[in-house]
Amino acid sequence: MSLFIQSIINGLNQGAIYALIALGYTMVYGIIRMINFAHGDFIMVGAYTLFYTVPLMINYGMPAWLAVIIAIVVCVVVGVTVEVVAYRPVRNAGSMTALITALAMSLFLENLAMVLFGANPKSVTAIFDLPSIDFLGAKLQCKYLLTIAIGLIMMLGLQIFVKKTKLGKAMRAVPQDKQASTLLGINVNKIITTTFAIGSGLAAVAAMMYCSTYPRCTTDMGSMMGLKAFIAAVLGGIGSIPGAMLGGIIVGLVEIFVKVYVAPGWYEAITYSLLIFVLLIKPSGILGKNTGEKV
Amino acid sequence: MKKKFLSILLTAAMTAALVTGCGGGTTSEATADSGETASAETTESAPTGEEDNIVRIGVVCAMTGGSAIYGEGAQNAVDLAVEEINSSDSPIKVEIVNGGKVVDDAKDSKQAVNAYNSLIPESPEAVVGSFFSSVTLPMAELANEQNMLLLATGATNYKVTLIGPTIFRNCFIDPYQGKMAALFAKDQGASKVAIIYAKDDDYSNGLKDAFLENAEANGLEIVYTGECTTTDTDFTAQASQAVASGADFLFYPCFLDTVPLLVQQARDAGFEGIIMGGDGWDGSDTTGLESYFDNCYFTNHYSSEDTAEAVQNFVTKYTEKYGSESLNACAALYYDAIYMLVQAAKAGGGTDTASLVKGMTGMTFTGVGGTFTLDENGDPEKSVAINTYENGEVKWFKTLSPEGK
Amino acid sequence: MGKEKKISYFINAVGVLVLFLLLYALFQSGVLGVRTSYLKGICTTACYTIIMVTSLNLLVGFMGEFSLGHAGFMSVGAYASAVVTNMLADAGIPNLLLFIIALLVGGCCAAVTGVLVGIPALRLRGDYLAIVTVAFAEIIRVAFCNFEITGGGRTMSGIAKLSDFYWCFWVTVVCVSIMFLYTRSRFGRTIVAIREDYIAASASGINVTFYKVLNFTISAFFAGVGGAMYAHYMTAMIPTNFNFAYSAEMLTEVIIGGTGSLTGSIIGAAFLSALPEAMRQFANYRMLAYSVVLVLVMIFKPGGIFGKWEFSLTRALKKLVHFGRDGKKPAEQMTGGE
Repeated sequence: MSLFIQSIINGLNQGAIYALIALGYTMVYGIIRMINFAHGDFIMVGAYTLFYTVPLMINYGMPAWLAVIIAIVVCVVVGVTVEVVAYRPVRNAGSMTALITALAMSLFLENLAMVLFGANPKSVTAIFDLPSIDFLGAKLQCKYLLTIAIGLIMMLGLQIFVKKTKLGKAMRAVPQDKQASTLLGINVNKIITTTFAIGSGLAAVAAMMYCSTYPRCTTDMGSMMGLKAFIAAVLGGIGSIPGAMLGGIIVGLVEIFVKVYVAPGWYEAITYSLLIFVLLIKPSGILGKNTGEKV
Repeated sequence: MKKKFLSILLTAAMTAALVTGCGGGTTSEATADSGETASAETTESAPTGEEDNIVRIGVVCAMTGGSAIYGEGAQNAVDLAVEEINSSDSPIKVEIVNGGKVVDDAKDSKQAVNAYNSLIPESPEAVVGSFFSSVTLPMAELANEQNMLLLATGATNYKVTLIGPTIFRNCFIDPYQGKMAALFAKDQGASKVAIIYAKDDDYSNGLKDAFLENAEANGLEIVYTGECTTTDTDFTAQASQAVASGADFLFYPCFLDTVPLLVQQARDAGFEGIIMGGDGWDGSDTTGLESYFDNCYFTNHYSSEDTAEAVQNFVTKYTEKYGSESLNACAALYYDAIYMLVQAAKAGGGTDTASLVKGMTGMTFTGVGGTFTLDENGDPEKSVAINTYENGEVKWFKTLSPEGK
Repeated sequence: MGKEKKISYFINAVGVLVLFLLLYALFQSGVLGVRTSYLKGICTTACYTIIMVTSLNLLVGFMGEFSLGHAGFMSVGAYASAVVTNMLADAGIPNLLLFIIALLVGGCCAAVTGVLVGIPALRLRGDYLAIVTVAFAEIIRVAFCNFEITGGGRTMSGIAKLSDFYWCFWVTVVCVSIMFLYTRSRFGRTIVAIREDYIAASASGINVTFYKVLNFTISAFFAGVGGAMYAHYMTAMIPTNFNFAYSAEMLTEVIIGGTGSLTGSIIGAAFLSALPEAMRQFANYRMLAYSVVLVLVMIFKPGGIFGKWEFSLTRALKKLVHFGRDGKKPAEQMTGGE
């Protein structure tokens, strides 16, 4: 019984991390219909920033979590640069070109990190020093609760931002009709850059929570985590903010439960089968909106 | 017109890349020639072993990609060994082909084969590498065809040396290390053992099989066998199961990049027994996890605390020059490999491949990895150093002879 | 028209033969000296890469759907053929026959997988299809990690080394010719019609699903052939070789070469297999330089280097003759053939 509860806790925690990363994917895809494969690498950038800034913060006697602000700034700068330099020129060249550019950018960031930071995996100093409590015979780490809470806050914040604010409304208008939104005085380029800035900022927050659970950064961490998180985003319905959250949690729980109770060697296969199954029944994902094709 | 110009430009760039790619660097021709003359001279004056005898060595390791940390260590260790040998009064000198650079295989078999082939034009007399079985196996196949001496460093799959008589290695084979870990578990009074291994990796599989077999034979109860992959970061599921199974010993035969994660998550899940690993653990980063690594052990080729001269010399010089970040088992193995070839040249009476093979077969060598003899397959039988951690620092615990005493 | 076609086939056959003889002379005469095995190795690598990339182009260029799971089909071909040659190793079959059997078995197994994957997956389009192909490829990879016959997650080694460069050259020629003829056939034109407007195509009485699955299967078949060649060249493989990164690399080669152009695929494949080798002089900056080149090509030539342009030996010869008469620059005409 305690193993069962422990598994739920572990699954929720892993799911919350997937969800945080998936939010970034969903934001970008929702606005420009592009799979930003470099998003995972933005997380890597965030993690390396934390690796260097957390000890600095502690040295100067400031709370360690302030380092995340620097990480957000760095990630936003990297994200916007990538968008302006690499993505903007290919935006009108079709989705495949955009996809390959994203893949190439991801490769570029990984190899740049390898040159800059070296190949050795780095241990990130713990940001939060939270105790663990006993919960129905299972160990519940308080940082897990924090991860889930931050995930929920991010989701709600983004949802309100996109639905209620003027900028958010503009963001939703752009993917529907670029030309019409230009006519209405929306600066499409500005909106897309803003989207990337928000997405990259989210990546920094995700990096913080990732590092508090798995305190290690490697140059290829982004591509590993990124693909899973992306699957989560698609599962929940890409473009839908609550969908990313839901998808992340489902993938996290399924992985842990398959590992514990079903077939540990097949856990990845089962996650992917679930994705295929959902997409075949509901091609737009669990919470995605089904947009019929125009003839 | 602009478009046309661009396409011409790109086509030109492409052709250039193709030509240089296929050309394999025309600069190598000069060195290749000098190499040929050098070896020609060698054959004339070989029996006396004069001072102009140079062993030309090609080195392959993963320099880019997720396993580049091993390449970093290998490059440093090779540089160190070459510098030492060439500045000493040894009658045999070494030269690393490809301008002293380790050739990159990116832990990918396609690139490994190309890397090996790219070395051959520089006429090396021996090739050292590579660190992973999956990339060494195709290379060994080629080396066997061309009668090239291949000294594998980290390729622990037992099949590697069976490919041919010119293939050797200086690391443990998988079954051996797994057996040692099982004997150690028994020695420490463990009764229920759990194991978590990476399913998609040769090294991990090999150690697991040997460990399970020997654990059973020694009356240990295997209560949990968990699987993960080499790219996993989350081990909470496996850790909580290991705890639930009541195990008092956990074996985790994987590479250094995931070790801190596993140790932390296992301890967080409430696992208090011994956690043990193989030589893949060497070089793990314990920063911030010092207390977690108490009661953790790993088998290795050497111990940085070992007072043996070779070990102390290597550890101090390496740390002095390159810091301790990339000082791991891989570095030690590449360092030894260069020395082994020099000794083989002395024993075989020449620096051409045939003499090296002759000198290498059945050799007894003393280096950082202890004293060992290569058996009929070309595999070493050597003692195992068991290390533990104290405040996150690696401490020597004991050394087990090949018989496990 | 018929006569012209025959002449053009003849000219192309001669061209291929000349290329072969050229390479044969280069490798056999020993003018390349010690570099022969290195170059031969790269050329063999290029052979199976060309088959794989061209087959992927059938999906990407001609059907307009992109697959990020081509390495999955490749691995099916590689493992199936390796298992079969291991079983037949002592049967005393001559190597060439064994190699052909291996290629066919690899291709057929991959084709069956292609049908099984294609039927459900092709209900989706665009990005979603790409994601589902990733998922299928990952499932295949995990499956090979769990099958005992393929060595579990261990390296499967000791596969007979059958992929001789000269054989591989002809296999590649045959595969690419078949694919070329296929794209020019009734089937190929139907696929293009579906790409341009599948609703209109379906309204004209084309069974869209059937043709899509057919195309997917053919693509998978050739990926399997390429995989079989890979297995018998490397002699050892591990499931992690066939990961997402490898699929992505193949898709990159297609796009860089030019979608919808088989010439582009061939050049793109040859280019990108040689590029990491050409970059060896940069040592640790090798992969960084590689990715920079990729980004630059995408930015300055988003449609790929060749776009939809196909190289035609007949046309080139005609232009050469033309050039003899008019004295015009042939280079300009060749690149202006879009």
